[in-house]
This record gives sequence, structure tokens and C-alpha cells, in this order.
Amino acid sequence: MSREATTAGGLQRPTLRTETPSYDDAFDAVVVGAGLAGTAAALTMARDGLDVLMLERGPAPGTKNVFGGVLYTPTIRELVDIDGAPLERYVAEKRFSILSSDGDETAISMRPGAWRDEPHNDSYTVLRRRFDEWFAKQAVEAGVTLVTETTVTGLLRDGGAVVGVTTDRPDGEIHAPVVVLAEGANSLVSEGAELKERPERDAVAVSVKEVFKLDRDTIDDRFRLDGDAGAAYQYFGEGAVGEAVGGGFVYTNKRSVSVGVVYRVEDAAAGQTPEATLDAFESHPAVAPLVRGGRRIEYSAHVVPEGGARAMPDLVHDGAVVVGDAAGLVLNSGVHLEGTNMAVESGYHAGKAIAAALADGRSDAEALAAYARDLDQSFVVENLRHYDWFQRTIAADRQFLFEDLPRALASAETEYFKMDRASKDEHTGAARDHLVAAAGGWFGAAKRAWRFRRMLS
Amino acid sequence: MNDGWNIVVCVKQVPDADDVTIDPDTGTLNRSDAPAVLNKPDHNAVESALALRDAVGGTVTAVTMGPPPASAVLQAAVAAGADGGVLLTDRAFGGSDTWPTSLALARAAEELDADVVICGEESTDSSTGQVPPGIAAHNGWAQLTYTESLDPRPDEGVLVGTRDVEGGYERVATALPVVVAMVFGANDPRPAGLHRKIFAETEFEPVQWTAADLGIEDRVGLVNSPTKVGGMDTASPVERERTRVDSVEALYDHLAEVL
Repeated sequence: MSREATTAGGLQRPTLRTETPSYDDAFDAVVVGAGLAGTAAALTMARDGLDVLMLERGPAPGTKNVFGGVLYTPTIRELVDIDGAPLERYVAEKRFSILSSDGDETAISMRPGAWRDEPHNDSYTVLRRRFDEWFAKQAVEAGVTLVTETTVTGLLRDGGAVVGVTTDRPDGEIHAPVVVLAEGANSLVSEGAELKERPERDAVAVSVKEVFKLDRDTIDDRFRLDGDAGAAYQYFGEGAVGEAVGGGFVYTNKRSVSVGVVYRVEDAAAGQTPEATLDAFESHPAVAPLVRGGRRIEYSAHVVPEGGARAMPDLVHDGAVVVGDAAGLVLNSGVHLEGTNMAVESGYHAGKAIAAALADGRSDAEALAAYARDLDQSFVVENLRHYDWFQRTIAADRQFLFEDLPRALASAETEYFKMDRASKDEHTGAARDHLVAAAGGWFGAAKRAWRFRRMLS
Repeated sequence: MNDGWNIVVCVKQVPDADDVTIDPDTGTLNRSDAPAVLNKPDHNAVESALALRDAVGGTVTAVTMGPPPASAVLQAAVAAGADGGVLLTDRAFGGSDTWPTSLALARAAEELDADVVICGEESTDSSTGQVPPGIAAHNGWAQLTYTESLDPRPDEGVLVGTRDVEGGYERVATALPVVVAMVFGANDPRPAGLHRKIFAETEFEPVQWTAADLGIEDRVGLVNSPTKVGGMDTASPVERERTRVDSVEALYDHLAEVL
């Protein structure tokens, strides 16, 4: 039954529509997930004139997303005007710290003056709940249809090709020429549809994070910050993640501090629980004063794909592409922790490739292959390839890196700066002995220096 | 009544009760901090309206009063299955308490030739429960408040409601038109279908009626609202006396002593 609006007695009557129109093939593409990769893809396609439906399982974009806290914005800034974006602070300081489980800390801190100037090396702390919602709003303003509280449960196939998605809603199937899988690290749809294999345990890390509310002044004083300046602290060693292989982080937001740990899911499976690991990290004497008195306002956890270039699935299929965390696009080189920037880059290239393919009236894998090719030639895959060795190498050398080195550094520092009646020369010798012994003698030290030379290259 | 019944469901946009906080200085709700959502009890009202339409035929028209963004709750009702929506929007409505609000909804229901008006039992942001009886009073219609379920008898033009009363329930039969207030949690609201939700959020547009359209421009707003808030205060929790005991036996002894 459908009654058109009429005006009787001067008052416009409501249009009543009982039957529901079908939106099958009304959209050029369906994007699964309104995180940064999905939104970047949707926005790019909408700008190229496509009708895009973006489905998000959370009540709003960003509610289901977890990351440490620093967003790198070179590509986002190309896509949207970030002047109005809910950025927390720019990264004015990077600090790398090694913690022993005895309470020792050895750190190096950097505050290049150039980072104080706009655009602040494109590095900002953000809260995903606010940032993702804002970013998705830019896509909606570009014409994307965003539907929330809708979980994609599977893919529709015609022959081998993907032709749409199924959702958890009644009447929940919808057909579209292309599906963009931007579902994140826990990529159940892609795995269920055999677009990628279930990741190996050693290719997955677990992250757990808390956000503590503190006064803005307290944060400024505690971290030596002014105005919008912020700090990004990364931690290594047994004092950060216990028996596991991984690291910890502390990032400053405007009025809160994000604290978390990331380590191999293998270590969690072996019995080291995320909550105990985070508790121990937050209790370390080098970390506890940073969050003292803070009120815990958020607790979150997520899996992180850390398989590197080798673990990347096929990115392009007939009627579908895989982007962001679902494609395993996370970089952890120890020094560089990146993922959201790679997600945006992948979404952008996928969106461009889809628009070009559909302009030719095609949606098959061959027509979409430009996405895989462009991403392969971008910094995203190049960096993943470059640092592919890192995870395996640190895992193989855990005892030295996480336990012996932090202690040896602390012992060497103690010796080197010791105040007694011995000569400086004696102290230097004793300090050197601690380091050389921990590294396995001069020969061992040389071997390790060679093995890790690529960390900074 | 071959065409079925004209069912009107009244819905309200409120700050999400899960996120709302109270300003300790003023004692008022921090409405702007929380996202605006459909009042939770209204989900039960919409479900009752749709179930009633399933049973007797006819149409469901959602009505809300508020500024233009409030049409989001009409979208929610249409996504669930309502056929259309009316937004009562006018600066003249600003500051209305339950009396002029129920007058506006009553006039809209009359304008829509309603057989049944269904509301949630109360809104989570003011919790008066006065609007449904107010609609009935303004129009001189029957009312079924605190209703747990509905049993329509279209052949007789009668609606039977099961009402929650102290110590049990009562079944009340009433002629149409009637205003129903559904108990919060009375039913299990159906999820919106995917295509219906897309329709509601992209193509659906409510009609907008002003106070003048309803002929009540001089009877609504703050000046026509009899409620006066004398003051607000927050109650501080009383510090309880605490005693720690080491064993069940010690607890028993302590309780026996205190009691």
C-alpha cells in the first residue's frame, strides 16, 4: 500500500509507504566496516561519482576500533581538510625506553624543533571513537550512505564472483558489483568466504589498552608539554611485557593518557594474560608516576596482524578487495609502529581501482588488479617487505633483548657513573664488561650488531 | 473498518540514558554530552503498533515533536516498519512541558484520524508518564496506561488491553479511539530489515507540521506550561558504617549482636 502525500484542509498528509524498495544493485559498492580503511575507500569512490553503501556493526564508526594512539596523516590530509578533525595532540616527542623487570630504565628521547611546525610531521594522537566518526562524516558528506548497527555475516556469490553481502538483519542480503572488505584484524567474513586463510598464530599479536583521565595541566607538567604538543613513549624489555615478545606504549591525549601493551598472541596462549601484563607495565616504577591519580575511563583490547608482507592475503578477487588490517597491513619494526596510515593508503588505492574498473563496466579480479599493483608500489608494502625480518629476529633473540640487555645497560650505567674513590678508567672498564658479557663477548656483540643493523637503515 | 486501523505511534528523541550524566553544580542533565537516540520505552510502543497493524491491517504513522534533527527517531520507527512519519516542529513549541506537548500530539492524532495512539510508558529524560494520559484528556478519548499486551477485536471496533496493576493485572476493553501507554519491556522489538533501514535513512522524509498548522500556536511553549521547577539538588550518598570480619562465624556473631 502506498498513498502519496496530499493536501487536505491545507495540511500536508504524510506519505505512507508500506512496501520497501529493494536496494539490490542500487549501490556500486558495499564497504564492510567504517574504520579508516573502509572510510578512505568509500570517500575515494564517492568523490569519483560512485554510489557507496558503508556498513558498520557499531552504533557509530570508531566504537569498535582499537589502536595505540598515534595517527599519521599524510594521505588523510590529501583526502579531507583535517583542520576540523578531532585531533588530540601532535607528537612533539618520541621516546624509546628499555625496562628491566628490576625497575631499571634506559631511554632515549627526541624532540626535533621541526616537529613543532605545522603539519607536525603528520603525527597526531587521536581517540578513535571521535576521529573515525568525524572521518566517516566526511564520507557521508561526499555522498556515502552509512548504515550502522549492521554486521556483515558473509558474502553472496554468483559462480566464483562475490556479488554482495549478507547481514545480521532481516531481509539482510544486498547485491552490489564490488565488495570492499575493511572489517579489521578479526576478519571473519574474509576468512569465512575463503578470501584469506585463518592467520597463523605467530602472525597475530594481542593488544590491551587503558585510557586514564587527567587534567590537561597535569599532563602538560608531567610530560613537559605546551599547547597542543604531545608525547609518544615506546617501551621494550621484560619490564614492559614480562616473558612475552612485544612492547608497551604511553601516549598523551588532550585530557587523557593512553597506556597499553602489544605482544604475541602465542605468549598469551602460553598463559601470560593481557590484564596481568598491562597491570605489571603500569606498575613499573618508570611508568606508574605517568598515570598516577588518573581515572580509568576506557579499557579495550584487540588483535593486531603482525605477519608482515609474507602473511598478506590476495588483495583482489572477482568482485571484492581486501584493505587495511584485514589485509594484514600493520608495520612493527620496533622503532616504527604504523597501521592506520597504511589502512588509509590501501583504502585510497582500492577506491581508485574500483572506480576505474566500474567505469569500464567490470568488477573482476583482473580489472581490480590495479589496487594490488598500486599498493605494492607504495610505501605500505615496501615497508612491510623491508622490515619482514624483524619479528622473527627479535623472537629468536628474546632472552638477550628483553632480559639480559636491559639489566646489562642498567649495570653499565651504575658502574660508569659510580661515585667512589676508583678512577673513571676503572669504571668505564667495568661498565664495558657488563655490556660485552651480556652480548656474548666481543664476537657475540659484533654478530648482534650485524643482525640488527637494518633496524635503523 | 475494512481498511484496518489508523495507528499513530508517538516517539521521542532523548539523550542516551546509558551515557547521560548530571551536572553536579546545577543538578540538571548534561543533555549535549550524550548521543540523541529513540527513547527506550518507545521501542516497545513501535513494536506494539506494528504488531497491531499485522493483526488488524491499516497503517502506522510515527509522530514526534522537536527540532529538525528529531526526525532521526521517525527514521528509526520507519526502519522498524512504520509506514510514514510526521515531525511537529516550530520554535513556538520550545519550552513546552507535558501539558502543551500532549496537546500538540493530541491535535496531530486527531488530524491523522487516529483509531489507536500508542506511546511508551514514559521518557527516560523526564520520566513523568504524563503525556499519554494528556493526549487522551485533550481529545476526550479512552486510555489504557501501563499496558502489557493488546488484543484487538476489529469486528467489534474494540481494543482489549492487559494492564499491569498492583497485585496482578486487569483486562480492559475500550471503544476506539484510544490512547495506549505500553509498559517498558512489554515486548521484544523487531530489528529493522536491511533494505527498510536503508529506505528510512536515505529516501524517507517526514512531513512537517507547525503549531499554526494545528491551530494551537497560542496554547503551546514555555508560557503555556504550568510546570514550574522550584529548584534542583543532588543527594549525596550517606557514608555507611563498615565492619570487616574474618569468617562466617564471626559474621554470624556480629549480626546477632547488632540485630
